[in-house]
Amino acid sequence: MPVSARVQPPAGNSGNVIRDSALGIVPGTLEPYLALNAAVWDAGPLPAAEVELARLRNARHTGCVMCQAVRYDVAISDGLTEEKVQMIRANEPDAELSPRERLLVAFVDQYNLDPAGMDDALRSALRDQFSEAELLHLSLLVAWFNGSSRCAVALGGMPEAMPRMEISIPR
Amino acid sequence: MNWIVEGLDREQLLDRLPAISGPFRELYRSVYRLPQVAPETLELCRLRLAQLHRSDADFALQEVPVSAEQRAQLQDWPRASVFTDEQRACLEFTEVHAMDCGAITDAQADAVKAHIGEDGLVALLQALGVFDGLIRLGLLWQAAPVGVHQHAS
Repeated sequence: MPVSARVQPPAGNSGNVIRDSALGIVPGTLEPYLALNAAVWDAGPLPAAEVELARLRNARHTGCVMCQAVRYDVAISDGLTEEKVQMIRANEPDAELSPRERLLVAFVDQYNLDPAGMDDALRSALRDQFSEAELLHLSLLVAWFNGSSRCAVALGGMPEAMPRMEISIPR
Repeated sequence: MNWIVEGLDREQLLDRLPAISGPFRELYRSVYRLPQVAPETLELCRLRLAQLHRSDADFALQEVPVSAEQRAQLQDWPRASVFTDEQRACLEFTEVHAMDCGAITDAQADAVKAHIGEDGLVALLQALGVFDGLIRLGLLWQAAPVGVHQHAS
């Protein structure tokens, strides 16, 4: 059941999807919000395709229709295919995913479902496949996307379904 | 003991990737400076999230002073008399947001807006996002938030 929008966005159209959203009515967080969003894409060691896979897996957990409909152009340029996206969105990770991709899914699931309950086997596998910097990048991007996705859901105003749409990182 | 870089607390782990943790921390700090929501109200919401996540370390932290009575009665806030109506509306919203952000009702959102406005609701949501994120990271990494100021109880 769609929820009506609980907050009106600011008047005007800057062309920036974050500034033009309800987030735009809180100027005190707008610049830090934009800076963090850009940093998550630009400033970490994980490639854009892996960032996008983690973001989309997270969006599945939060139930954000818009987050699930969006594809970032940088991830597509990095080689992300729609076939891979559908594998990530399945209940269980597809066997055709690489070990790294399966671990990305496991990490995002653990963050959402039981952050305190990660077992030794998953920790060990993550350490084997990812560098320290990559693990920190993955952690922070999931924390970021989870918070922003929850915010989008709680603000309401989303339809039950949206078509796939390709966008650029708002800056 | 954290499993990414042994021996480091949460703040030290964040320091290892400053290009991203820097902007994260700036957003975190910025929510306490917002005019839309009293920092004490935000702190109560952060503390309630720590309780819901069973993160004793995050509950022990103090970002903004709140009274000892409010800390002591936070778990039982619906029956306690030491919270304002604004704080109650935000705490109820926080609890549902933590469990299922899609389950927040219009009445719960309206109750928040009645006290702090539409921009206050957005500010609260942004704050809950970074509070919840940092608590979850501490639990996921098994890294206590040592290194920041502790609540002296």
